[in-house]
Amino acid sequence: MSSTWVIAQKELLDLRRDRLFAVLIAFLAVATLISVGVAAASFRTQLDAYNLYVQQLAASGSTTVPAAPQLFPLQLLRGGVEYLEILGALFAIVLGYGTVAKEKYRGTLQLLLSRPVGRFAIPAGKVLGLAVVWFIVVALLTVTTTVAILVIGNAPLQGIDIARILIAAVVAWLYLLFWSALAIGITALSHRLSTGLIVAIVVWLVFVLIIPQIGDTMDPDNQVPGGLFATLQIQKPDELKVLANFAVFDSIRNGLEVSSITKHFERLSFAFLGIKDKYNQQPLGLVWADMWGYAITLAAAILASVTFAVGFTTRRNLQRKIS
Amino acid sequence: MTKSAIATDNLSKSYGSGVALDALSLAVGIGEVFGLLGHNGAGKTTTVNVLTTLLEPTRGNAEVAGHSVTADAMGVRAAIGYLPENVQFYDNLTLMENLRFFARLSGLRRPDQRIHDVLRILDFEGHDRQRVGTFSKGMRQRVGIAQAILHSPSVLFLDEPTSGLDPEGVRTLRETIVRLNAEFGMTIFMNTHLLSEVTKTCTSIGILRNGKLVHQDTLARTLADFPGEESLEEIYFRLESGHVS
Amino acid sequence: MLTTRRARTAHLLLFVFIGMIIASSIIGWVTNRTVTGVYEKVVADGLTTAPNPFAGVTPLYYLRNAVIYVVLIGSLMAIVLGVQATLRDRKAATTDLVLSRPVGSVSRLLGQLAGLGVVLAASIGISFFVSWVIISVINGAPLGWADTGRVIGFALLSWVLLTTFALLGMLTGLRSKQETTALLVPFVIWSAVAFVLPQIGTAARPVSLLNPVPAVSSTGGYFDIVSMVTGPVSMTEQFKTASSIILQDTAVTGNAAFSILILVGVLAVMMVIVAATPRSRMRSGLNE
Repeated sequence: MSSTWVIAQKELLDLRRDRLFAVLIAFLAVATLISVGVAAASFRTQLDAYNLYVQQLAASGSTTVPAAPQLFPLQLLRGGVEYLEILGALFAIVLGYGTVAKEKYRGTLQLLLSRPVGRFAIPAGKVLGLAVVWFIVVALLTVTTTVAILVIGNAPLQGIDIARILIAAVVAWLYLLFWSALAIGITALSHRLSTGLIVAIVVWLVFVLIIPQIGDTMDPDNQVPGGLFATLQIQKPDELKVLANFAVFDSIRNGLEVSSITKHFERLSFAFLGIKDKYNQQPLGLVWADMWGYAITLAAAILASVTFAVGFTTRRNLQRKIS
Repeated sequence: MTKSAIATDNLSKSYGSGVALDALSLAVGIGEVFGLLGHNGAGKTTTVNVLTTLLEPTRGNAEVAGHSVTADAMGVRAAIGYLPENVQFYDNLTLMENLRFFARLSGLRRPDQRIHDVLRILDFEGHDRQRVGTFSKGMRQRVGIAQAILHSPSVLFLDEPTSGLDPEGVRTLRETIVRLNAEFGMTIFMNTHLLSEVTKTCTSIGILRNGKLVHQDTLARTLADFPGEESLEEIYFRLESGHVS
Repeated sequence: MLTTRRARTAHLLLFVFIGMIIASSIIGWVTNRTVTGVYEKVVADGLTTAPNPFAGVTPLYYLRNAVIYVVLIGSLMAIVLGVQATLRDRKAATTDLVLSRPVGSVSRLLGQLAGLGVVLAASIGISFFVSWVIISVINGAPLGWADTGRVIGFALLSWVLLTTFALLGMLTGLRSKQETTALLVPFVIWSAVAFVLPQIGTAARPVSLLNPVPAVSSTGGYFDIVSMVTGPVSMTEQFKTASSIILQDTAVTGNAAFSILILVGVLAVMMVIVAATPRSRMRSGLNE
């Protein structure tokens, strides 16, 4: 049994008994379930309004029947994906931080470092342990939300829907692992107990919350209440023609958005789950043809983050601390 | 001359401009119980950290159990046991789980039988399933010794092992050290400033002052060299302050 | 206060906060110039005869992104400052020294709070002053008294919100056994207040809550009832509502007084809770 796996097993055992971890995961699960419930309730409200409208039409003698709002079950997952995107990332940072901070500031590190373990065994063991933890958490969340769609949402699922959910689950797993590995590296590098956590949280703030928000803000169309082009009464083809003259601005704006790993996660999940209308009910091959670029950048980001964690969680960095 | 369990050659360690260890050359023979004495900040812990490969020396070299701390750190780690000052464990894990973890990292594949044996040697049975988080300082210290000797190391390093222990704990620890040395032939290297402990357990001593070794000899010879002095304490203060006639 | 000045990680958050508030005006400015460019291009191409839509927009519109940065960055910064203020004492056991002097425990806590309040006020003051200058530059003239008054009102309200979160941080800093827990618990509470509560009441999805405009209640039986309960407790949404009204965002209508009352009320309650911390709690050591 390699030292890496021994360390990974220890992390699993430790987290299984960690109250804070239990609270965080329960919070995430409850928030996700609430979001499915709320989305289902919201749809039912729409449906009630529609039925009322149809009754009123029938009562007034009209024979026209307007199109009924249609439920796409996977779209109920949107809130859940967004929770993983924001809170999942935060909790992943917390767990990654915890696995290093515990060793570094509670005096077990010296014992660990005095054992004959390889250069990369400690960080690799921690990353592996968290990968297993996140795998289990994502699997549990996937099962609960799928059941929630069936029970709370009262919506049927096809085989292909399950495949879509599984793809989204893999994407979510990689995204969470990215943040945990990043936090491991940052905590190993930091000198003070809370610094690692705070620095990782600033990174989270910037890449998860601020950058995507700036991208949205800079959209010229969002600058005027009601939309710029709508206010000017300009049609879509003309809008695109005009915007072509501002390509630099728009590429900066889009560049900001795509510089955030969060957007890659979001775009991939939304496409495969059909949450984005353009990809709703489209075959997986077509979605993949559009999305493979994001899949590659997400994979590259994971690789970079794991390399960072393993490369910087050195004996020397781990021992640098000011208590 | 017997082969040394620990031999350092001009071992130096500096942090920035501060020198923690200055050209330390000492030798500890196989089977000895060696006590390294010195004031706070004299460089005792730095010495242990370099010898246990936690720190790399700035200059010089050291061999522990025949392995070089610079060229063969893994060899050193496999051959030693180490009990840091104020040892801590994974509080959420039980005693057994903690020990299993360190045993496996030390290369034992099926460690459970060995763990039970060691706990029996230390007279520390019946706590297997308790979480270490609930243990007292004295109990932790015994877990610390247990994890240090699971893999039957040839050299055992103890950094201020008595610090924070009550008199009862100090006595148990002393008996354990003597036993590990006598029954299992372990070479023991300990840092301490409790002179009474040194007289009762050590076979040889070294005194560090400002990172320099100012004295090294067997305990018996050291005591014999100062026939006028009442106790090791007096000798220590004379050697430490540099007033040796 | 002196110690806050010397805490480096807190600096990082302060810089991000001040920087982003200032950046939000600059982003507004750059975007404004682009939009004006788009408009001129549209007019030159003869595609529209409508007036420049920006002509009717109040200059305070550029500040609306600051609302969300106060909620996101400011709150987290305030939490970290609050946690560090009380934890630092417990870690170094300086509380024993301070409390062995003739100082009451309440006045010790209020002293810390006053220090935090000043730090928060200073960071809000700096960032909003710079924003005021930038908006004046965009506008081509200094903001008038009325608009300046609105900026000050928004700044005061931001201070109320941030001080509430700083108090939350102080509280967990006093109550937690471990430093990590002390930081995490208020973060989790913050995320529940900023994301989960509004979602339950309005069906707004988490990402849409990053929008500076408060979530509009989804009409319908269930949501009407639930939002009556969750609405007042969703402090960050109340803050967005009040700020948007103060900043004359046309997308939001209503009366800011109710929201302001809730925010000030919560602040007062938090103050009482923190001040009621027993002396023994302030001296208890950490488990780390």
